[in-house]
Amino acid sequence: MSWLYRIVGLFPRLVIARRNISRAKARSILAAASILIGVVAIGAIGAGGAAFKQSQLQNIQDQGATNVFVSPGLDMEQSHFDREDLKAIDETVGPAGVVATKSKDMEIVKQNDSRERVSVTYLDDPRAMYEIGRGELPDNWRRSIVVSHDYAIDRGIAPGDRITLAPEQDAESEAAAAERTYRVVAVLQETQSFGSSSIYLPIEEAENRHYSQVRIMTRSTDRAEAVADALRDRFNDRKDKVLVFELTSLVRLLKQVVNGINTFLVGLGSISLLVAGVSITNTMLMAVIKRREEIGVLRAVGYGKGDIVRILLIESALLGILGSAVGVVIAAVVAAVANSVFLGNPFAFTPSAFMYLVGAVAFGVFTSLLAGVYPAWRAANERPIEALRG
Amino acid sequence: MAPDISAPAETDQPGADREEDRQSPRDAGNDVIIRGESVVKEYQTGAQTVQALKGIDFSIQPSDFVAIVGPSGSGKSTLLNLLGLLDVPTRGTVRLRGTDVSTFSDGDRTTKRKHTIGFVFQSFYLIPTLTALENVEMPRMLDRTPKKTRERAKQLLRRVGLGDRLDHYPDELSGGQKQRVAIARSLINDPAILLADEPTGNLDRETGDDILELFDELRAEENVAVVTVTHDAYVAEEADRVVNLVDGEITDADEAESNGVVEQ
Ligand SMILES: Nc1ncnc2c1ncn2[C@@H]1O[C@H](COP(=O)(O)OP(=O)(O)OP(=O)(O)O)[C@@H](O)[C@H]1O
Ligand SMILES: [Mg+2]
Repeated sequence: MSWLYRIVGLFPRLVIARRNISRAKARSILAAASILIGVVAIGAIGAGGAAFKQSQLQNIQDQGATNVFVSPGLDMEQSHFDREDLKAIDETVGPAGVVATKSKDMEIVKQNDSRERVSVTYLDDPRAMYEIGRGELPDNWRRSIVVSHDYAIDRGIAPGDRITLAPEQDAESEAAAAERTYRVVAVLQETQSFGSSSIYLPIEEAENRHYSQVRIMTRSTDRAEAVADALRDRFNDRKDKVLVFELTSLVRLLKQVVNGINTFLVGLGSISLLVAGVSITNTMLMAVIKRREEIGVLRAVGYGKGDIVRILLIESALLGILGSAVGVVIAAVVAAVANSVFLGNPFAFTPSAFMYLVGAVAFGVFTSLLAGVYPAWRAANERPIEALRG
Repeated sequence: MAPDISAPAETDQPGADREEDRQSPRDAGNDVIIRGESVVKEYQTGAQTVQALKGIDFSIQPSDFVAIVGPSGSGKSTLLNLLGLLDVPTRGTVRLRGTDVSTFSDGDRTTKRKHTIGFVFQSFYLIPTLTALENVEMPRMLDRTPKKTRERAKQLLRRVGLGDRLDHYPDELSGGQKQRVAIARSLINDPAILLADEPTGNLDRETGDDILELFDELRAEENVAVVTVTHDAYVAEEADRVVNLVDGEITDADEAESNGVVEQ
């Protein structure tokens, strides 16, 4: 007698259940496949979504989640900050890099006199926020412009080029006279940063010192949150004098949104698993009906109700384990693809991705087990004499 | 064939049970395995009540060979189900070794059935995916004694003349061979009674005769009582005792024979 037979002899119900599964191969495979689909749906969506979330969070962090942006609130008399306001902000935030900017849309005048809208930011020194890529910014920056990396690539602009800007036409009526030509002195390095413009001009070029936004650069996200709170306390007592926007709140919001979407999709996946459960129930019911006499014989020769229930539950759980095992491999592959797309490394499974995969398997097996309860109960409660009549 | 089939010192429960029985001399005259008193069995179908057994008395002693005969619908299978603890009477009592079976829970009855009773069916009811050997082992598969079970199963299959068919599947066996496998299966737990419901019903006369002969031999060798339901008069001739059921009542065997009730 082989050692295998001895080991197998220790788990007789498992052996019986496994044999039963290989009896109706097609039916078993279909039932397991339905579980597989559910597990893949939950695992792939969950783990892929986790990778997506992770990548977006990284993006936001790259964009400087340590920054706080302040803009004029709805209840402010003017829709801009003046020097007084800046001073007040500076006092409130304490030691931190405060950069006031004025942003607006202008138009670029091209050679053929056509115009194209472009976003422009006036500021003191772009180096406070960005790195210079090509060209050089003079110490005393006047009457020249700096172009963002993306815009430069897009339009083929290089340091030394000339660009003519004009105020937006409908905004400032027919003020075509206000056209001015600037020399491009520098192109910025590529940045993920939030709220960047295409073109940067020295603040002296603006018609007034009315700032549309203040950026406060802190050293940590905690500090950013504290600054944001301090600003809200100081200015937004009763009225919304300023709009304070820090990326940590965006991070929180994004987490919420992505989690919500992910939960919704995983919920849809779970529905497919429930459908799979119904299919397992159906398969097991058919099996039980087909094996009615056989189960009757088992009962007659001394198998208890509990034995029958256990054998059939093991059987449906095996279907679930089979489907889940193959399904989780497929889901992991899909998740690995998502990892390499979003995170640049196929093996960068986040803990939550891992949880989704494990959860999908657990849910798959549990669903199959649950799906087997009714057929098993029915089979066990069939009276052997009824099953053996005829 | 090896004649020492009853030799293995049974160390498991059914053997132990029987040892006990044999050893208690005060039971000697009274070692009835199953006894029924005024047993009534009614079936409820809709508003109608069918009385399948109308208050009968019976008892099965060790090594009895009893044939239950009677026309179709006379209650033979019903009686066999009661003997086999597959059912309980509506009224009256069935006692297994003195204990009223109606006091048993379903689980108790299953356990008692396993250790006391072997079944042989008209249509064999072998499991098609198991080999002859595995089919014989099947009732003991949950016992976790694979080695002992296998040895005993092989021994039994050899005894019923299928030593060379151990690894054949049921569809590779003839009807008579299938019934032999079923008989070996019924003996794997060393039962005290073997219950057979028309065991020769699906076999031709000659094969049926062989099966009956086998019953007769096994009865002595395995120390097992055989109760067989049959339509066939010639089966009854082999038996020690004939219970003639007519319409749920036992009629006197001789009377029945003279009245020709056995014939259909
Ligand atoms: N589950 C049941 N429900 C209702 N009536 C039943 C049931 N089982 C048996 N009967 C009835 O009880 C009576 C005896 O049936 P039983 O099966 O014991 O007859 P039998 O002697 O075995 O007949 P046969 O020789 O045809 O097998 C019959 O009238 C039958 O219709
Ligand atoms: Mg019958």
